[in-house]
This record gives sequence, C-alpha cells and structure tokens, in this order.
Amino acid sequence: MELPKRRLEIAMRAKELAEQFKAEATRTGAIVYEARDVTDANNYVLKLAQEHNVKHIVKSKSMLIDETGLRERLENVGIEVKETDIGDWIAQLAGERPVHMVESSTHKTIELVAELLSKATGENLEPEPQVLLDAARRYLRQSIINADMGISGANIAIAETGTLIIMSNEGNDRLVATLPPIHVTMLKSKGLVPTMEDATAKLKEFNKKVTDRKMPSYVTYISGRNTTADIPSALMARAQGPAEEHVVLVDKAVSK
Amino acid sequence: MSREMTKRVHKALSDKNLQTALHGLIPLVKAISQMALEGIDFDALSKEIHHVKEKSIANLPQLVEQFKAEATKAGAVVYEAKDAEDANNYVLKLAQERNVKHIVKSKSMLTEETELREYLGDAGIEVKETDIGEWIVQLAGERPAHIVGPAIHKTIEQVAELFSEATGEKLEPEPQVLLDAARRALRQSYINADMGISGANIAIAETGTLIIVTNEANGCMATTLPPIYVAMVGYEKLVSSLEDATTILRLLSRSTMGMKMPVYASYITGPSNTTAIPGASLLSGQGPGEAHIVLVDNGRKEMRESPEFQEALYCIKCGACLNVCPVFGSLAGQTYGYIYQGGIGAILTAFLHGMDKAKDPASLCMGCMACKEVCPARIDIPRMITQLKVKLVTEEGLSWKSKIAYRSVLKYPKRLDRAMRAGSYLQQPFTDKDSMIRQLPYPLNSLTRTISLPALSHHPLGDRLKDSSSPKPGTHPKVAFYAGCVANYAYPEIGEDVIDVLREYDAAPYYPPGQACCGAPALFAGDTKTALSLAKTNIAALEEMNPDYVVTVCPGCAVMLQQEYPRLTAADPEWNQRAKALSSKIRDFSQLILELSPSAVGKTSRNKKVTYHDPCYLRRGLGIYNEPRRLLEREGFELVEMADSDACCGFGGEIVLDYPELSNSVLQRKLDNIEATGVDTVIANCTPGILQLRGGLDKRNSDIKVMHSAELLSIYSKSRSITT
Repeated sequence: MELPKRRLEIAMRAKELAEQFKAEATRTGAIVYEARDVTDANNYVLKLAQEHNVKHIVKSKSMLIDETGLRERLENVGIEVKETDIGDWIAQLAGERPVHMVESSTHKTIELVAELLSKATGENLEPEPQVLLDAARRYLRQSIINADMGISGANIAIAETGTLIIMSNEGNDRLVATLPPIHVTMLKSKGLVPTMEDATAKLKEFNKKVTDRKMPSYVTYISGRNTTADIPSALMARAQGPAEEHVVLVDKAVSK
Repeated sequence: MSREMTKRVHKALSDKNLQTALHGLIPLVKAISQMALEGIDFDALSKEIHHVKEKSIANLPQLVEQFKAEATKAGAVVYEAKDAEDANNYVLKLAQERNVKHIVKSKSMLTEETELREYLGDAGIEVKETDIGEWIVQLAGERPAHIVGPAIHKTIEQVAELFSEATGEKLEPEPQVLLDAARRALRQSYINADMGISGANIAIAETGTLIIVTNEANGCMATTLPPIYVAMVGYEKLVSSLEDATTILRLLSRSTMGMKMPVYASYITGPSNTTAIPGASLLSGQGPGEAHIVLVDNGRKEMRESPEFQEALYCIKCGACLNVCPVFGSLAGQTYGYIYQGGIGAILTAFLHGMDKAKDPASLCMGCMACKEVCPARIDIPRMITQLKVKLVTEEGLSWKSKIAYRSVLKYPKRLDRAMRAGSYLQQPFTDKDSMIRQLPYPLNSLTRTISLPALSHHPLGDRLKDSSSPKPGTHPKVAFYAGCVANYAYPEIGEDVIDVLREYDAAPYYPPGQACCGAPALFAGDTKTALSLAKTNIAALEEMNPDYVVTVCPGCAVMLQQEYPRLTAADPEWNQRAKALSSKIRDFSQLILELSPSAVGKTSRNKKVTYHDPCYLRRGLGIYNEPRRLLEREGFELVEMADSDACCGFGGEIVLDYPELSNSVLQRKLDNIEATGVDTVIANCTPGILQLRGGLDKRNSDIKVMHSAELLSIYSKSRSITT
C-alpha cells in the first residue's frame, strides 16, 4: 500500500493498536503500562526503580526519553543514569542535553572530548580518536555490566506481535536491553504499526531518511520477556536476559 | 537397515532416561503445535515461504554476489568456504592471528555440521556454547538431539549432574536452580570471550544483513560483547529482501515454539561502529570491531543442482517436522547417527556425508507424512525420502531379499497368489482357533513378538468374488473394487462387506480379475521398476470394464493408484494418460458412499459408540478425514474422538519388518489412546492399519474390536434386516 495513505490509516487506528500491542506484549511476558502523560510515565519508572532498589541505570539513545526528562527525574532522587551512546555520554559529561538523531558530538573538538573522558575515567587520555573510543568502550561496558536497570526507547513497535524494535550502530542498545536484570522501554503510541510488514516498510523509510546506510549495524526485535525450554520439561521465563521487561506507552504529545 | 542401526534403535528404546525425557516433552510439543496455527492461515503463509525459498534458491548466484557486495560495504569480511574444512580453517586461522583463547558461540546447526567446536578445541581454543540446551549437550559430550532443542533427550536429574560438575556447586534437580546456575556460569563467559560465533537464520542480500533468532538472549550477547564476531552461514539462508525475511519470520517461531515472534530477532549488518568521536568514523563502537561472515557450501550447491532434492534447501530449520515425527518421538535425534535428524535429516545427510550414509536414517521413515503437513516451507519430505531410496537402489541395487520379494513374487499376481496360498497352509501349525497367529518360530519370531498376525485365508477374496468379476449389466454406477493385498489375503470378509454395502446403495460393484499388488512396498523400498510394472498391470485390469469409480479399502493402495501411477508413468505418454484417467476415479470407501447418497437422511441413534483412527494415508495422503466421521454419524453411531486420532499406528514403511520394536513403541501410544476412550469399537478404514491395531490389541488381551467402516455398516444392516 502507498505509504502516506497507510500512515493515515495507522494513525486513525492508534487506540486499537495500543490495545493490541498491550495484549500481545503482555501475553509474551512483558509488563505494559499506559501512562496518562509524561509525568505519569516518569513516575512509573521512578517507582519501579525504587521498588527494586535500583542505584545504577544505563540508558540508550531515545528522543522520547530526552523529551520527558526522565533522566533528570531519576537523578534528582539520587539514582545514577548513564547515557551509553558514546555521543550522548560525552554530552552528559559536558553537562549538556543529548544531541538528537544519529550524529552526536561532532560539534566538539577532540581535545574537549579527551578532557571530558579523562576526567570521567580517571585516566590521562591523549586526544587520539582510537584512544578515546577504547576508553569510552571500556568504561561504558563496565557500566552496562554493573547496571541494575536498562532504559531504552523504541524506534518502531509492532502491535500484532507486541514487538519492540531498537536500533544502533554502536551496539550499546542491545547490551542495555539484555544485560541488566530489568529492562524498561519507553514508547510513543505513535510509534506503533499494525503488522510486521508495516514495520519493515517503516524501517526502510527510516534508514533512507535518517541514516546514510541501508541498515544500521544492529536492529533488534524484542518480543516479550526472554524464555528457555532447555531445562527439561519446563518452559521457563528469564533465560539469560532481563528478569523483567517493562514497556511504558506514552500517549500524549510531548511538549517541550 | 543395518545391524548397527537396529542396535541403536534398541538402545534408544530401552534407555529409561531417554524415554522419560521424551515422554515429558509430549505436553509441550502438543501446546506448540496448537499455538503454531492459532489465528493464521497456515496454508497461505507456508505457500509464501515456499515461494520465497524457491525464488531465492533459483537466484542464488546473484544473491550471493549482492550479499557479498552489501556486507562488504557495511564493513564485514565475507569468505566463501567450499566445505567444512575450508570454513573451519578460516575461523581457526582468524582466531590464531588474533590470539583468541576463549570463544562463546550461540547455537548453530551449521557449526555442528562442520564440527567447528571440536576443530577449534583440538587447536587448544576454548569454545563455550551459550544456548543452554546446546551447553548441556556440550557438557555431556554429545550431539544435539533436535535441530532447535539440543538437549530434549535429557532428564532433569541428568542436567543437574552435568551442571553440578561444570559449576563445582552441588545443584538440586530443580528447574529454577539449574537455570540460575546456567545463567551465572554463562554470563561471565561472554564478558571474557575474545570472539563470538553464531550461525544465521536468514541472510538478506539487499542489505548484507544477518538475522539471528533466539529466545534466551544469548544470541544478542554472543554477537555483541566479544571484540570479534564470526557468523557461519549456509548458502540456503540467503533471501533477496527484508520483505522476504519478514515472510519467513512470520512462521519460523510459530513452527519452532508456537510463538508469533522469537523473543529476540537480531538484524546484524557489518561490525559495530561509531561517529561519536570527533574527526573520525571508527569501528568497534561498543560491539565487535570485526564482523566475518563465512558462507558455506559443503554440499549445498550440489543439492541445488539436483531436481529431486533441491527442496531440502528450503528448510528453515524450525524443527516442527521432528516434533510430529512418531519415530523421532520414540528415539530422539542421536539415533539417526548424523548431524541432522528425522526425515529432512536423512536428505541432508545424503549430501553432507554421502548417499550411502543416508540409507540408515532413511530406513527410519514410516512414511506417515506428518512432517509434510506441518512444514512451514511446504517441503515434501516423504517424497524426497522415497526418491532417496530410489536413488540408493539405482546406485547399489536391491538387497537379495527385496529382489526375491519384489521382482520374483510381488510383480506377478499369480505367483503372489500361490505364495499366499502356500503360506496359508504352512502357517497352520502356528494358527490358533480364532485364526490368529500369536507366535511364529525362528527366524520369523520377531514378526509376532509385538503383534499377533491374522492367518492368511485359504480362500482369498479373488476366489470368493469370482462370481462378481463384472458389474451387473445395465446397472450404474459401475464400481470396480480394488482390494489390495491385505484385504485379499488376510481380510477377505472386509472385501465381501464392501460389495454388500455398495449393492445396498444401488451401485454395481465388481471385483476386476487380474488386479495385482499396488506396488507400494516396492516403490517405498526404491524399486521403481517393479512398481511401474505393477502399475501397468493394475491400470489395465481396472480400466477394462470402464468403471465409473474405483473403490479402495487400503489408503496406501489408493495413494498409489491416484498419485503415484501418474508419476511412475510420466515418461510414457500413453500409459500416463491411462494412469491419469484412472486416478480421477479413485475413491475411498466412505467418500464413495457419501458421493453415492449425498442427501441421505441421518439414521436414528443405534446406541453404539465408536472411536475413529485417522490412517496416515487416508488423512494426509488423500486428505480424507471428515467423510468417514460424517458417514458414521449419519449411520447413527456415536463418535468418541480419541487423543491424537491422526497419529501413526506404527505400521508404515518397512518399519514393521525392519524395526518391529520401534513400530511397537509407536503402536503402544496409539493403543493407549484408543483404550482411554473407553469405547469397545475402533474404526480404521485402512486394512494394514487394522492388521496392526488388531494385532496389538490382541497382545494386550483387549476386547476392543477393530473394524473397517464397511464391516460396521454391513453388520448393522444385516442385523436390521434380521430383526425386521
């Protein structure tokens, strides 16, 4: 079907899609929360973090979460939230808001980045790209391994299967989604599409518009909570990924 | 069948742990098959997948070039390996160059096929499997039991023992305890690994993307955490587009686990990279800085060139065919002896390890066609197994026993007749008063170990129906009765009932003389020569009086007449035309009765409960499962459905002769389900099936009667005419 027409059709079915997504994601072991507004969404995550005594959170790139101010909300109560997209992390270290879209910290000089990363890691880093990247990778890797919670945004979500689609070139998003014991995804209802085929079309469109590649390095479809059937005669939840998979659906347009 | 395989079958069937584990799986497998079909048009979707695979295999050379170009553009290194050694060697060399000591691997049947883990292990590199099932198998030093469930053959106690040894903790055989221990043990391995290895479920040419599907999340971790990523991918995984990949994903996890989608589907395109550091675009953002893709041939290109077996490349490795295979359900995968299990495994084995090696695995097929019915890529596995046997016979010739049986006796109706008659006298000393043979002397004793056999009749059907060798002049429709060997020699009374019932429906039934064995035993042993000769004999015999219908009581025979004769005669236009003309007239008994009397009113209840067994060749071969039920209900019988009514009775293929113990294991499940209905009569519209079920129930000293619908109808119409 023609894309603009399909888009309109999808927009008109938003409520029904949210219902379907919720049913499917729930069936596959996720916990879906439909937030009334931005504040409600942030409160949900905060409460969840407090209930689980979460101290360290890692976060991957999400425009939605940047807009809701979730990071600040959590930091205000003393929970550490580390950006894991390297560009976003540099911005965080510089005390700035994350830079949107795919390009991140190109407006900074390498010397400034070296300074920020040296301070964060406690090492004396030369302003060499490879040196800085290696340091950032080591540092962020350890943060992700140690984190009590991972937070993501989803670029696309599929109603018929309850699937979240996250993507990145660095691969940090996959680590944030799988290594910590709790994974939370914030999702705009507008990101929902009805079918897998719609998701494929949207993915292609996204790659054309936003990136200069046919596909980002990593596109991960997550449908519910991880499971295994490998322990004899039992189908068990939480295999090697997170014990809890939360999805926060944010409906209202975000004003900022 | 080799002595080696007979031993392995015996070992599997008498392995208590294995049988306990397999038994424990039954509810899960049932749930999976149900959920797999929920809310979708499986037929339409599986056709789409078949089409995608067909197209992809046809365009393979272009897809390979495109994939290589795109993956390289995205920063991956693509290597084309001609065989297992070549592929393994590439990975080993890479590992050695990068000083790799520890590798984590997510599940991949291809790496099992190339034995990559052992190859690297021999060079002193530690490779740890990260799929929990695969890790169990690794710890046990075994091969996977199942394409997607490597450790389904293990009991929880066995797993507890293996994990306790691996972790140095004393672990109780509790699922949660074991899962937690596995998670902890594996977690650190990803973090420490120098290299991650995976297979791929799908490879997309237009973007150079690999899709890796897992439920445990190990696939995400093994492909992202280590600094070097290597994927081994069979050529058959290539598809053209993201859309084609989506088509496959629609059924892949349904068929595997009854899930709409896998928990994780990872699309990986090139290595990790970042532009976040000013002034440079760098590899190895936070995942691997190197991505190597080894495209593996290892017999696949040869398979692609082979018209009979090309379809095996359509396999998306979902394992659904194994879940429904009665033989697999009794033996699990190791018994097959090679990497891939079940029917599809036999075909793959032929190309990976050599035609001769496929002989044993192929001999384990009962021909029940359950696999074909559930295949999301619509691969005709049973047909390929037959082709494989034909090929083996062409290359190696028939065994001396088969040569005598098929080419000297079966082929000639008169000789078969004489042999059966002789048998009917020779068997006398072993025949009980009720015409059952319960114990034959050595070397035939294995035949009566698990079932009692019917005595061969002194008066086969051909004798009894001498007066009915042509239709009554002037009456219609003319119905030729093709009896088949079992009805002819063992159950002639069923044949007489068919004639009686058809007359009641005002048809003109007759028994064409000159009919011979349908040739199924020869064909399924790979002897097309004998099968073709018998096809011609039967076509000539059955077309002679130009019947309107040909009615059968053995669905195996019916499939031969209806579907195989046109195939067997394909090279000869004249015979082919005659075969096709005959094909359109073939009817199963129930189907014909309903066709003769479409608007008959239902009879009042006869206060008689029966249960119905769906014979494999009737349900899946001819697609008939409603008609017999409708007929029974219309005739006033109350139908009590048994569990798994369409599960094989264990008679199929040559299993009953080659592996009686295996046949019996499948039979016992069927009998349990029959007995569980509490009904005293089971209807089986299949003469070989009746032989198997009666024989098995007799061994159980059960009073349950096994009847063909024709017998039941005939008995009740006779008793009615007596009382009125």
